[in-house]
Amino acid sequence: MPAPQFTHLHVASSYSLRYGTATPAVLAARAADLGMPALALTDRDGLYGAFKHVQACADAGIKPLLGVDLLVSSGGATPRNPPLSRGEGPSPHTASVARAGPIAETAIVSGPPAGTEARGSAGTEARGSAGTGTGVAQPGFSGRVTLLATGRQGWGSLCRLVSAAHAATEGDDGPAVTLELIAEHAAGLVVLLGPASDVGVAVAARHPDLARRALDRWRHLVPDVAVEVVDHLEHKSTIRAARLAELARDAGIPAVLSNAVRYLDPAGSLAAQVLDAARHLVPLGSPRLVPHNGRAYLASPADMAATAARVAAAMTGPGTASAALGLLAETDELARRCVLDPAYDLGVGTHHLPETEGTAYDQHKELRDRCEHAILHGRYRTASAGSRPRGVSRRKAAQQARDRLEHELDIIAKTGMAAYFLTVADVADRIKDAGIRCAIRGSGAGSFVNHLLGISAIDPLEHDLLMERFLSPVRATLPDIDLDVESARRLDAYRIIFDRYGAERTACVCMMETYRARSAIRDVAAAMSLPPDEIGAIAKAFPHIRAKQITAALTELPELRRSRLNDAQLATLFGIAQQLDGLPRHVAMHPCGVLLSDRSLLNRTAVQRSGEGFPLSQLDKDDAEIAGVIKLDVLGVRMQSAMAHTLTEIQRTESKQVDIDAIARDDQATYAMIQRSETIGCFQIESPGQRELVKKLAPRDIADLIVDISLFRPGPVNSDMIGPFLRTRHGLAEPRYPHEDLAAALRETGGVVVFHEQVLRIIDVLTGCGLAEADLVRRHLSKEGGPERTAPWFRAQALARGFDLVTVERVWQVVAAFGGFGFCKAHAAAFAIPVYQSAWLKRHHPAAFYAGVLTHDPGMYPKRVIIADARLSGVQVLPVDVNASSADWTTVALQDDASGTEAAFPPPPHSPLQPERPDTPAATEAAFPPHSPLQPARSDTPAANDPGTGRPRPGRSPARRLLESTGPLRFPGRSHLPGGHSARPVAPPRTPRPVPPEGPPDGTARVHRAGKYPVPAASPQAIRCSLREVKGISDAEIARIVAGQPYASLRDFWNRARVSRPVAEHLVLIGAFDSLYDPRPRHAPNVRAAPRSPAPPAPTPPPPVPTPPAPRPTRRDLLARVGVLARQSSSAQAEAPVLDLFAGAGAEAGDGMADLVPAGQLRELDLAERVAAELEVLGFDVSQHVMSFYAELLAGLAVVSSAELPGRESGAAILVAGAKVATQTPAVRSGQRIIFASLDDAAGLVDLAFFESVQDRCAARLFGSWLLLVRGRVRRAGAGPMAVTVNGYECWDIPALEEIRVAGGMDAVRAAMAAGDVGPGAHQGLQDQPPTAARPGQAAAPAVPAAPSDPAIPVAFANGFILSPYAETGGPGGNLKTPPRNLWHASPGSTDTPN
Amino acid sequence: MGRVYGEPAEVQAREDGRPTGFAWRGRRYAVSAVQEHWLVNRAWWRESAPLPARPELEFWRVEASTGKGAPAGSYELRRDIAAGTWTLRRIAD
Repeated sequence: MPAPQFTHLHVASSYSLRYGTATPAVLAARAADLGMPALALTDRDGLYGAFKHVQACADAGIKPLLGVDLLVSSGGATPRNPPLSRGEGPSPHTASVARAGPIAETAIVSGPPAGTEARGSAGTEARGSAGTGTGVAQPGFSGRVTLLATGRQGWGSLCRLVSAAHAATEGDDGPAVTLELIAEHAAGLVVLLGPASDVGVAVAARHPDLARRALDRWRHLVPDVAVEVVDHLEHKSTIRAARLAELARDAGIPAVLSNAVRYLDPAGSLAAQVLDAARHLVPLGSPRLVPHNGRAYLASPADMAATAARVAAAMTGPGTASAALGLLAETDELARRCVLDPAYDLGVGTHHLPETEGTAYDQHKELRDRCEHAILHGRYRTASAGSRPRGVSRRKAAQQARDRLEHELDIIAKTGMAAYFLTVADVADRIKDAGIRCAIRGSGAGSFVNHLLGISAIDPLEHDLLMERFLSPVRATLPDIDLDVESARRLDAYRIIFDRYGAERTACVCMMETYRARSAIRDVAAAMSLPPDEIGAIAKAFPHIRAKQITAALTELPELRRSRLNDAQLATLFGIAQQLDGLPRHVAMHPCGVLLSDRSLLNRTAVQRSGEGFPLSQLDKDDAEIAGVIKLDVLGVRMQSAMAHTLTEIQRTESKQVDIDAIARDDQATYAMIQRSETIGCFQIESPGQRELVKKLAPRDIADLIVDISLFRPGPVNSDMIGPFLRTRHGLAEPRYPHEDLAAALRETGGVVVFHEQVLRIIDVLTGCGLAEADLVRRHLSKEGGPERTAPWFRAQALARGFDLVTVERVWQVVAAFGGFGFCKAHAAAFAIPVYQSAWLKRHHPAAFYAGVLTHDPGMYPKRVIIADARLSGVQVLPVDVNASSADWTTVALQDDASGTEAAFPPPPHSPLQPERPDTPAATEAAFPPHSPLQPARSDTPAANDPGTGRPRPGRSPARRLLESTGPLRFPGRSHLPGGHSARPVAPPRTPRPVPPEGPPDGTARVHRAGKYPVPAASPQAIRCSLREVKGISDAEIARIVAGQPYASLRDFWNRARVSRPVAEHLVLIGAFDSLYDPRPRHAPNVRAAPRSPAPPAPTPPPPVPTPPAPRPTRRDLLARVGVLARQSSSAQAEAPVLDLFAGAGAEAGDGMADLVPAGQLRELDLAERVAAELEVLGFDVSQHVMSFYAELLAGLAVVSSAELPGRESGAAILVAGAKVATQTPAVRSGQRIIFASLDDAAGLVDLAFFESVQDRCAARLFGSWLLLVRGRVRRAGAGPMAVTVNGYECWDIPALEEIRVAGGMDAVRAAMAAGDVGPGAHQGLQDQPPTAARPGQAAAPAVPAAPSDPAIPVAFANGFILSPYAETGGPGGNLKTPPRNLWHASPGSTDTPN
Repeated sequence: MGRVYGEPAEVQAREDGRPTGFAWRGRRYAVSAVQEHWLVNRAWWRESAPLPARPELEFWRVEASTGKGAPAGSYELRRDIAAGTWTLRRIAD
């Protein structure tokens, strides 16, 4: 007998966060396989999966139902809503009364039913279970209900109800609704009262009278109610289901059958069990969790029929004979009522643009008027002589402009998008009016209308960009305009949009953070009660890969293969962790998406509040497209913030207003600098690969930068497009075109296909299909199987147009190979502008530029690289000074190099009252000139002589360690500063950059100068380290310090800046007080003029009288004084701050502490200790390069410095050394996983490549060490002197080698290196792994019941480009040798945002 | 609550797992009715052996007796689904 038709009405997908385990797509596909006509999605707490479900159902050929599973508040817990129990007499208005109220929900269920061993559970699961009868007992809540939408009205009600549920709940609790709230939104909704509802709970507790009253109350308030019968074959669940069905029968309301689905198959219950534990933060087996079995799966109609029969058999009373069929029939009938029509009910397939004034006709006219005005009177610059292509008359240019405008307006009219353009222009104008830098990115730069409206700075006519790539009438998808704004002011830009359009038309786009390998391992291991430190060790051993790849990664990644993690004990852990792969675990605000809609927005999406306080739609960016809501991407770009800060600093110190958006884009000095590849810190062109490319390409104008950006992509790099391009560009080869008709399209790139726009033109030329159609074809080509499906059409069209077969085949090969991954030229053009702007700023205002880059950290390198580059450019880097540093990095003009005196500037914005300090001697004394690691230490600095033995104890401040031990300090981790054996560290040679004369580089002329550029004498030449770099400092502390500047003494600082003791100690350690205690006579800061802190508790100290030089306290003395001050403060806590009785006696005596800790009592920090302190406090070394401490070791090994590298022969085996500043594992052509690393060796950067064949012995150490010695072969990639890299094949940990050298001399070092057992990968490394990881003798067990581990199959592309599955994954964490702060990182990222 | 045994039993069952009779301590019992039937995952996370695909324990509380005329009792049988083994867990008073 065929099973009767069945539709699941209660289904949780993975969008029920940390609850469901199956994706909507998988569920819909299974439902279709099982022959079901429809499927509901009723996720918990939100509608995040709704449009994915709609799409999945469409793909599977079944009909969608939508609903939600919500927690019901009994009233007392959510004070914003009236308490529950209307219709039950006087309302109890407090939680305690509510609990004992008329329904007494919580009372009945607060304990598990007696005698059930499988129970014992109700507690935490209160907010959790949807299972049968599993307790709902959290005070203030009365169960969960499922609501299904009927029709368009029902969907709108559902959206608004879910929004209301989120709005009504504060804090971290999930959303909850009151019965009244449901009643308010009941139109079009069906309420399902299942075993988890108050009705079901009362039934389970054998209180039929209470159950009946609860049911009556629901019916009283909500018109459409049904009872939901579920039997998961838990203990007693069948009899409870039967009683619930009897209740419905007796009350005369429909009873439907569901399976309260939360996974696809029975095996999914383990992952679900782990998620329950993770959600409640309790271990598996906790009595607070409900017991699991594998029954909440997407059961077949036959299984559901069996369940119906089982429940019916347990029923008593009238009508039980037909009860099973009745259940199934009612289920089917409700399902039919709730089926939704995507187009009619959900609005799929139509656009919902913001309303603007007037009709569509008016909007279009307004758009035309604005554009025409721009051409005639405004911002359109091509019509002016400067930017007009040579040989084009003004009249012709204007005609071209008008033609293009007509063409675009025509497209806009056909797509009905005029309102969209006006809206975006409005948004961009408002953002700019607020003083926020704003630039377009993406294909929108191809639109002339965008340029004329001022949205885009790029003139598409000048760069031959196409509108069709952005918007065309033949494409169904909505156009994307992306705006880049300053990252630091991104939320300000959002506020502007929300203020303008209001929360009923605007919401941020959400995005799901999903489980990846590390997070999955962490949650599973925690549920399995592994100790936290072991969990951390296991999780950190994995690079950031997808959880699905865990098992494959274990066997395939060399650095994990050595780690002995393949233990049977862990197999279960990994097996479950793999099942969590990709499951959403957290709702976050998408970093850039903003929805702009008409006023129906809140009927189309549920909205919640983001962590930042913005309305957050439950649509993600794909859903928004399906739902037909326009999305505007407003990205925070750090480089824009860096440039904004640069401009501010120029204005402050040079009193010059630079309009960076108006500068001419043909500055040859800027291009000359780029050609020398001195581009560190610049937008997009600072990576090792880009520095190599710009060197070869030698960009001369914006067009070249556009090509450069487009070429530096995995596709072009690995398809060998760059070689042919460079040959034709430099005149070494004639450009070759597949056909002469294509010459026009391909001339700009020497016959090589680089841009999407060129692909469009080629397709158009060959087939005559038009550019709009060609863009559709191009999009199709990048899809799987696209080229195969397109080929017949392409050939037929091209042959029909008279091209010969050979040409057609040749062109087709090009199109098929490159169509998929060419680059959008408009996007590159939009990027080229900030590339040029940042390079221009670096060239002409270097100090301000470095201040901007160091403040906003836009690039891929750690700050030490930027600092080194600043020095190489002749910009001094001044250390933190409590009287001179502000919240951000600032520029400082040294009035005259000899005295090093700071010029007086207006204060940076954060220190509004900074007085002039005409001859504060800070600069000379405190500046660490760039290339002088041999700078004599302070006169009272004794050389360190005692070899150290103690390792830093974790968790203790460096300050305490210093005071307790007078021995040399060690670097964080195991690193070891060799203080004792070389009295003075010897620096590697550090010469300033050779500077060829500007203009086309000839590679021969070398001029040595102090810096690269002839910096004007009045221009700032130094930058001052910001307070924010100090470890542990808070924004409030920074604000107080800056407000209180200047300070006369440590005590003055302590009293007024009121920083925490560790912060004060950190400041002392890095010399931030040194200038206060300088022995030379000076004018003290005019403190009287500085009543800064808003309400300083301490009286302002009187101006100190200049005194004869006194012995100055050492940093150790000051550290001890901080301790004294801290003790005094704590003993006088409640009292007013101690009056500074000694304040009148000059700087040193003014401390009033010379008696307690006399100056010079404690030894000064030696150089090694200073560097160690800087590394720990700031994260970078200021006084001296860290590598200089290993000079003896490196000299003994004849290590080659980066400066000498260009002189070495290709293929020569050499040793290089340095601090690791970057690792990357990008996609490469061969499909190998190549690890690229860069080392900073004080003279510059050494770029390294490690191929797969050597990773076995190198990878662990490479990822695990910070200071590395590498043996490799010189590889010369091209002609230029810069293009030298080293192919590494062996590496060692330098501190480990240094220890060996100290103990046994250089011979011992060489022996150890030969034996290959030096470094963390060998010695120590993953021995820190938990003991469970090292259980030899136990065979690795298969990971059951894990989904089969995705084999790590390389992804092959049509052109032979193969992608390693581990490409773009970093190394494993746990870098014990890495100094504690962000010294280096592996992620490129000039934006805040994954796009 | 009855007495707890936890002793192995030899059980005859239908294809769907429903027991029809069992042997325990040398005596044979015939099942006359199923009183309850439920499933629970065992504590798989504590086990060091490889995890079975279905770590469920299946419980049957049945009415059974040693033969016609003998008094019927309530017996709780447990089957480990992965291992296929049966246990007599308890006898109700």
